[in-house]
Order: sequence, then structure tokens, then C-alpha cells
Amino acid sequence: MPDQSHVGRRYSAPGQRIAPEAARAMARAIAGDDPVRDGDAVPPTFAAVYCLGPTLAQLFADPEVGIDLAGLIHGEQSFEWPAAVHPGDVIDATAEITGIDTKRGMTFVRLAMEAIRPADQAVVCRATSLMIVRAPA
Amino acid sequence: MTAPTASEVAIGDSVTPFSRTVTQEQINAYADASGDHNPIHVDPDFARSVGLPGTIAHGLLEMGILADAIAAWAGGNANLLSLSCRFSKPLLPGDTIICTGTVVSVDDAGTATLEVIASSDRGDRVLTNGRATVRLSR
Repeated sequence: MPDQSHVGRRYSAPGQRIAPEAARAMARAIAGDDPVRDGDAVPPTFAAVYCLGPTLAQLFADPEVGIDLAGLIHGEQSFEWPAAVHPGDVIDATAEITGIDTKRGMTFVRLAMEAIRPADQAVVCRATSLMIVRAPA
Repeated sequence: MTAPTASEVAIGDSVTPFSRTVTQEQINAYADASGDHNPIHVDPDFARSVGLPGTIAHGLLEMGILADAIAAWAGGNANLLSLSCRFSKPLLPGDTIICTGTVVSVDDAGTATLEVIASSDRGDRVLTNGRATVRLSR
């Protein structure tokens, strides 16, 4: 189970390419039966793919932290987009565990992520996530 | 729809309400697009085995729709500067998500801060504590 000793642990996912077809697939999935409104733009929450996905995958696979995926809930999420991401960009993403608390049998894991485009050193996304791990039944 | 300019927006103004019905096909498409194939989103039997009424939408799909709603009002994705929320209640396939927002401040640079929320047509508040900032033209 995650505990205080894991605060400060960092995960790094360099070289995330913004594949145009993947960004379009997410725009279509978000639009559902509606037309895609802003077709040429990368959807803001595509940060799920270039920032959260590749860093959280490392957290979830980290045997020393030992998160039980069966009891995992995404509790809160924040994103800031200081600069726009464009198809074809290559992004370096990092995440850090910023807090771990246990209350009422649930463990609250807080993370902060940052995504940078090395080509111009622009920060394209800052994010925070709250992941809640329920104790096994 | 034309985006409002900063001078046209006042504290207390509403973001144009926006609703979208979310289908299981859409949830499956989001699972593929995001890479999040957690069975609670795509496998009804598994979802029921962990105490859910059935599959549930990804929170980040709901947040993506909320982002779409705000960007539509603000004149495009590039004008959405930040968005945060709590995933309070699940959204189920077949539910309609209803996104609303209120302007709480506008600064001299034309950045508006919004309180935003998403509810389901069953009356559940699915995304709460929502906050967004958008860039408006001047």
C-alpha cells in the first residue's frame, strides 16, 4: 500500500509524440455523436495521453508503492495549459507524488505533473491528480 | 456561435448550457483513444462485480466534454487556459451530461474565471468544485 515514504517519488516519460491521428481519435471520442467542433486543435484533455497516461502507468506498475488497481478511483483532476500543444510536437512529461494520506480505510495519493516541449522549453501542461485507493474488501 | 468579448462578459453571466448524451460506444471509443481500458468502463459484468450498477464513463471523458462546452463558449480550445474538478458521481452509458458555468471574475487582461459543474439528466452532480479560466478577446 502507498505510504508517506513514497512522497517525492518521481516518474519521467520523455519523448511523447503528439500523433495527429491519436489527437483526432480523442476529439471524436469526446464529441460522440456530435460533430468535432475544433477539428484542427489538439483537445485540451489530450493531456491524459501525453502527460497522465505515461507517468501514471509507471506509478501503477511501481512494485514498491503497490497500488491495487482494483480499488482505484480518480477523485480530482486539474489542468493548466500555459501554451498550446500542436500535432507532431514531442513532449517530455514528469510526475511526482506530492502527498499520501490515509483516512477511513482509503489512501489518498496526490500527484503533480508537468509536460514540457523541449523544442522551445514551453510548459504545455501542468496537472494535479488525486487518486483514491480503497482498501481491499 | 460567436464568442463573447471580455467587455461583453460580466460577473454572474452564464456559460451557454451544453448537453451531450454519452453512449457505451463513445465510452469504448474513449477507452481506445485514451488507452484506459479499465474494465469498469467497458465490461458490464466486471463493473457489477465491484458494486457498480454497470459500466461507467471515464471521469476524463466527462471532463473532456466539460472542456468542449467551455471552449465552445470561449471561441475555441486554445482559449481554455485551465480546468479543474472533482469526480463526484459516476455517469452511466445513456445518461446525458449537462454542463453549466457562471462567470465569477474577469481581469484587465481579458481572462475570465468560471465556476463550472456537470450534472446528469438523472439529477446527479457528476463533476463538482469545477473551476475554469478562459482567455476572451478584448
